[in-house]
Amino acid sequence: MRSIQRRLSLGLISVMVIVGVVLAQTSLWLFEAGLQRYLEAGLRNDSESLLVALVRGPQGLQLDERHLSPAYQRPFSGHYFRIDFADSHWRSRSLWDQDLPLLDHPGLHSNLQLGPDGQQLLILRSDYRRLGQSISISVAQDYTPVRESFQRMRQIGLAAGLTALLVILLLQRLTVRRALKPLERAREQIAQLQQGQRSQLDDQVPVELEPLVAQINHLLAHTEDSLKRSRNALGNLGHALKTPLAVLLSVASSEKLDAHPELRKILIEQLEQVQQRLNRELNRARLSGDALPGALFDCDAELPGLLATLNMIHGEHLALSYVAPAGLQLPWDREDLLELLGNLLDNACKWADAEVRLSVIERTDGFALSVEDDGPGIPEQQRAEVFSRGTRLDEQTDGHGLGLGIVRDIVETWGGLLVLGESEWGGLKVVIELPKR
Amino acid sequence: MRLLLVEDHVPLADELLASLQRQGYAVDWLADGRDAVYQGGSEPYDLIILDLGLPGMPGLEVLAQWRAGGLSIPVLILTARDSWAERIEGLKAGADDYLTKPFHPEELQLRIQSLLRRSKGQANQPTLKAAGLHLDEGRQCVVRDGADIQLTAAEFRLLRYFMLHPEQILSKSHLAEHLYDGETERDSNVLEVHVNHLRRKLGKSVIETRRGQGYLFGGQAS
Repeated sequence: MRSIQRRLSLGLISVMVIVGVVLAQTSLWLFEAGLQRYLEAGLRNDSESLLVALVRGPQGLQLDERHLSPAYQRPFSGHYFRIDFADSHWRSRSLWDQDLPLLDHPGLHSNLQLGPDGQQLLILRSDYRRLGQSISISVAQDYTPVRESFQRMRQIGLAAGLTALLVILLLQRLTVRRALKPLERAREQIAQLQQGQRSQLDDQVPVELEPLVAQINHLLAHTEDSLKRSRNALGNLGHALKTPLAVLLSVASSEKLDAHPELRKILIEQLEQVQQRLNRELNRARLSGDALPGALFDCDAELPGLLATLNMIHGEHLALSYVAPAGLQLPWDREDLLELLGNLLDNACKWADAEVRLSVIERTDGFALSVEDDGPGIPEQQRAEVFSRGTRLDEQTDGHGLGLGIVRDIVETWGGLLVLGESEWGGLKVVIELPKR
Repeated sequence: MRLLLVEDHVPLADELLASLQRQGYAVDWLADGRDAVYQGGSEPYDLIILDLGLPGMPGLEVLAQWRAGGLSIPVLILTARDSWAERIEGLKAGADDYLTKPFHPEELQLRIQSLLRRSKGQANQPTLKAAGLHLDEGRQCVVRDGADIQLTAAEFRLLRYFMLHPEQILSKSHLAEHLYDGETERDSNVLEVHVNHLRRKLGKSVIETRRGQGYLFGGQAS
């Protein structure tokens, strides 16, 4: 989509240009027509003066020189006449060696070129009868100065029009930018939303935007709410299924089955399978996935609690530490990230001798989370197998853990990458690369 | 060792009660969160096993109320809610350990043992050792200088309590409170009999009698 700003500018320019040109041309044309009518009145006046100056002389008709305007005597003065009789015609002296053609019809005619200067003439032909003869008098006036001043007017008008167009465009741009500022703000806020820096859009917006913002906020609240509800429902379901499982496991391990070791083995095996499957699917269902995070993951606030919990579970002999830039916030759902890091660290703690370290590094295009331990590590040729289907390398210690399966699920939904390597202490190093949103 | 089990699922509670009693713990059982708040604060328990999904009051709130009331007994949370966010919440509410359902009974047993050792200041030890004795909690016998000494269930319970509280004077009433659940009749003569049995098996000097005060285990360095 093109930007609204550009569309508005294009629309405005085309409307302004069309309206401006039509308006300017029409007014020029009207003005010229009016001016010609005015000049025509002058020419008719001249023509009648000539008619009056025609007197009967000793050799027939002659012009009374006293009544003639001196402009008819000066060559190329801009005022000319031609009087046509039935068999001859007279020309004014001002025509010099040029010929003023006789018009076909009586009336006004413009755009006649004459003389070495290419004067534009406005000619009026009037027919009379005088002293028993039909006389046709043509008077002409140089129209060039008027034309020229029109041309100048047109140029000035064009320049003024263009300037006005520019000024209007500029003002329009400013106005549109001001008017679109709330939209721009909403766009920025949506970007912040994506990065998880806010959980709602600001609702102080113009009336036009209100429904949009309200709807987005409603959707966000709805997503968060339904996520919370489904997590709660899953928790309840888990509770309802796992408590009976705990009873069955306890019964299967009790001395009541001492006499049937085969039965006990089958029972425990099957129950463990049910448990693993249940945990895996419930955990997977809990993930918020790609939805916008409701609560951000604040490293400084969450990591100490997580490490303390792990220390509590695995014993105080483990030294757990984390390295993260101060005040770093990760733009993913808090519970998902806790699940990811919790499982990774839990796994590391199971294998570690004394030390486990979590590092969070921010890069230009994403984040890198790495968990290292000083345990035995995994030989390079076996690393690929850890995540392949059906292998339970990650579940070999402490039967109740889910290990890395859920970690892989989370990383996959976030479009990240999971790499196994060797830590500086010789143990396993799990690196997770997550792209920024 | 006297434990409080707060769990509303009756079949699981029955199983746990039976298995904990087999391991020589005196266990009281409650199913309602409100009862647990009161009884946990008034009876001298050594450890509490707390389920989180309780009728009456949520387990986390029960725990928070205990901690707010200054109760410092170790609490092991037993729950089906196993997300890390919930575990962290449990820890913040004041839990000392967190076990998710379903679990292996041995796992719970080990957690209880290590939690008890930890709370009595004997952290970082895989087994219970005191005064040259080494208690095998799995087989319920005591090992001295590599030789097993068999114990009865009552002797095992008494010796375990002594070994978790070495070099402390323990009165008869204190011992009775911590060795028997709320429904057993407490007879101090029975205690004396068990102490005498232990002395016969482990040597007279292991448990000293402080007249008018009580018993002292492992008083002299041996």
